[in-house]
Amino acid sequence: MFSDITEQKETLLAPPGTERPVFSRDERTYSGCSEGFGLGERSFQRQYAHMYAARLMQMRGILKDRAEQKWGTDIPIKKLCDLQMGEQCVIVGTIFKHMELQPSILKEISEEHNLLPQPPRAKYISQSDELILEDELQRIKLEGKIETAKFVTGSVIAIMGAEKNDGKFTVEDYCFADLPPQAPREPLNSDRFVLLASGLGLGGSGADSMLGLQLLIDMVTGHLGDLGEQSGAASISHVLLAGNLLSQSTQDKDSTTKAKYLTKKTQAGSVEAIRLLDELLVQLVASVPVDVMPGEYDPTNYTLPQQSLHRCMFPLSVPYPTLQLVTNPYQAVMDGVRFLGTSGQNVSDIVKYSNIDDHLEILENTMRLRHLAPTAPDTLGCYPFYQQDPFIMAECPHVYFSGNAPAYQSKRIKGPEGQDVLLVAIPEFSSTQTACLVNLRTLECEPISFSTFSTEDDDEEMNISH
Amino acid sequence: MDDLYLDNIDEYVNDQNKIVTYKWLSLTLGVHVNTAKQMLYHYLDQRRKERSGTTLHATYLVSGKCSENGSVCHKVSVVREDQLDDTKSKLDKTISVHVYSVQKAELKDSGPLYSTDYDAVKENLKNCNKYSTIRCAAAVPLSHTELQKVQEKVVEKEATKPSLNDHTAAAPKPSVKQPKGIMGMFSSKAAPKSEACNKEVKTEQKDEASPTEGPKSKVSSKANAMNNFFGKSADKKVTTDKPDKNIKEETEGAQSSSAAVSSKPSQSSSKSKQDIKEEQPKESKAVKDDSKDSRSKTKRLEHSDSEEERADSQKKKRRRIKKPQSDSSDDEVIPDSPPVPEVQTPSPGNEVKKEPVSHQEASEGRRRKRRRVLKARTFLDDEGCMVTEKGYESESYSESEDDSKTTSQPSGESNSLKQSLGKREEEKTKEKGQKKAPAAAAAANKSTKQSSIMGFFQKK
Repeated sequence: MFSDITEQKETLLAPPGTERPVFSRDERTYSGCSEGFGLGERSFQRQYAHMYAARLMQMRGILKDRAEQKWGTDIPIKKLCDLQMGEQCVIVGTIFKHMELQPSILKEISEEHNLLPQPPRAKYISQSDELILEDELQRIKLEGKIETAKFVTGSVIAIMGAEKNDGKFTVEDYCFADLPPQAPREPLNSDRFVLLASGLGLGGSGADSMLGLQLLIDMVTGHLGDLGEQSGAASISHVLLAGNLLSQSTQDKDSTTKAKYLTKKTQAGSVEAIRLLDELLVQLVASVPVDVMPGEYDPTNYTLPQQSLHRCMFPLSVPYPTLQLVTNPYQAVMDGVRFLGTSGQNVSDIVKYSNIDDHLEILENTMRLRHLAPTAPDTLGCYPFYQQDPFIMAECPHVYFSGNAPAYQSKRIKGPEGQDVLLVAIPEFSSTQTACLVNLRTLECEPISFSTFSTEDDDEEMNISH
Repeated sequence: MDDLYLDNIDEYVNDQNKIVTYKWLSLTLGVHVNTAKQMLYHYLDQRRKERSGTTLHATYLVSGKCSENGSVCHKVSVVREDQLDDTKSKLDKTISVHVYSVQKAELKDSGPLYSTDYDAVKENLKNCNKYSTIRCAAAVPLSHTELQKVQEKVVEKEATKPSLNDHTAAAPKPSVKQPKGIMGMFSSKAAPKSEACNKEVKTEQKDEASPTEGPKSKVSSKANAMNNFFGKSADKKVTTDKPDKNIKEETEGAQSSSAAVSSKPSQSSSKSKQDIKEEQPKESKAVKDDSKDSRSKTKRLEHSDSEEERADSQKKKRRRIKKPQSDSSDDEVIPDSPPVPEVQTPSPGNEVKKEPVSHQEASEGRRRKRRRVLKARTFLDDEGCMVTEKGYESESYSESEDDSKTTSQPSGESNSLKQSLGKREEEKTKEKGQKKAPAAAAAANKSTKQSSIMGFFQKK
């Protein structure tokens, strides 16, 4: 743990001494592997059906193997068009969840229904949802031992059961693709840390969080703390900012709603916020390699995969080679440890369309499904890929994270072939003032929180944020 | 050890009433951060010993390990002096304590601490980590030349990425050339127009998103508009060389950003170059045939285009543009007054390539000439509404010579082009060429040549 390696040294409550220690930052080997998430030439002429077809095609083989492992080779694996009544078999396909409350653009613009647009809700599930399994040619309704609320559209699974008289498939059991194969990692000799933070929320109205952010930067760059802490901070070899660097309030599109004469001289909120971010980044990159991922409220494209922020927005920080502007989702190998993660849009979308609220549980589910964002492109904006679905996990990461979670959570899960993954739900810094430190040697994660004082703390104890 | 710093701190705190944080002190005095912290402590200590009635307040930084609900967490906090012991007791293990700041007044809020540090850091952005404890070997900023090299590489990569569909004749730095080419074209034109267009182009250049059809169409529509100007107004200032070269450059630039010219590489380049050459005022001989050919060729190209949308929209554009033309028109010439905004042909008109479509172009040298005049046409559109549109149409006249050539694009299209130009200046909406801002067109008209005003008085 980070706090274990930092020794206690009380040297600073004393008159100035003569020692001027300087630690050098630990270096790590780094290789990014998120080329699959970069978009070259973009054509939006295609339909999304290709993406689903590619997904099913890629996952079918994997699921067949898993089904055989689980239920043996006796039970035949059939396509939907070959189903016989009453015969127990295994079918493989994509789940489609039919939800009444799901916002549908067709219903909105339909003049017959005369509907007003639905207000945004926290959850779009209801009791009347139905699960349907689709494969290349047909679809069939599912019932039985399958919990509708836990599944989301777009997950590819294998189901064992039989078709009953009324044309519905009764489910007895189901299985997922589970974790992909994992490359073994070489153990490190010394403790090395990676700092994960997200949801900095610049440009918002929270002035308190700015000091917290400054404390974070000071700690990482080695200004803060005593010698012990500073030497500990020197072992932080990488910083990853996972999205939502700008706050939601910078998304205000005044210029489109207000009259022109009111907004002519005003600048968008994001301009100032980006300038602030650049100033923060220049402090960080002068001391530690930083990867910056865009998030939901950052100035880049909306659909997944989000492309990296443009380097022209960071004139002060760009000269430093330690700055890396990367895509969302993002994958990289640092010191043999594979990191894979997103800024949280995939997880929060699943929160809306299922009854699971726990970000960590959703992370685990997506890991078991072997797919980063099953709800793309149904409810989560996505680029229409053609022949491949880059969100399918080909190789198992060692650290799987998602940003902008409401609270810090982390868990270690094991896969069927001995894979070992650390799941981290990175909390939103602007509200929790907490970031995470992952130890690359032991694959453990520790939260680190910053707090300041304010007028409300006069009577009560110091605000401990976590 | 020289104790001047004590006096310095004294001055800052008491005389200037500043909040002296360790970071600010380290940057101001140019000392190591740990030294600054120790200095602050020393100062505080000394002052407190000397005078008991001192009004100094301090904030401390406490960090340590604490375990909550079984999980370990590292906490870093800035606390007031009175809360110091309290906080220390809550931590399992205190790792560091030091003075964070010293100030005269008691701080209710930690906000001012942030602003002090912010100011100090802002002044020293280049070497903000000079006095910190950690040095990173990799964090050396690239020199200016190295940075440029990197940027050039990235620009090339970006340029080649979108030109997957396009041909290879793109200039190495097409995005850089693009503004130059367009600038050249605009140099003979009204200054405001060029500024607006340049700004547009520059913002496009800055746009990271690989050029979508929107900006591409804007570029090409600008090009089209410029071509229109070339054709319509008797622009004697513009030499044949200049527009030729500029148009070529612009073509390259436009193509490299995969303008909606065509998707077939080499054919399109030769095509459009051919087209542009044909637009030259002096060479209107075989223009008709060539243009027809090129048009049909480009039509064929589009049909075989893999990008269905382009073909479809081109077809659509053709269909729709043809339709208005087939309607009757009034014979009013109102050249420079801004037309009333109305429904008109959709924005695909913008994306039409630089066709030098000259429907009824007569060859040079005869007295009977055709030229383009602003006319209003009234017709029934899809929904059965009567629509009056002002647009340029070619019309024959037997006057003294004009250099005017008739790049008679369908009037609706030219209308939409001009309007889109004007509108772009106001809202940078890339796909809505449907808004009317003919004021820009009128302004441009007025500012170019006297002849356009003279057109008022010439025989129709």
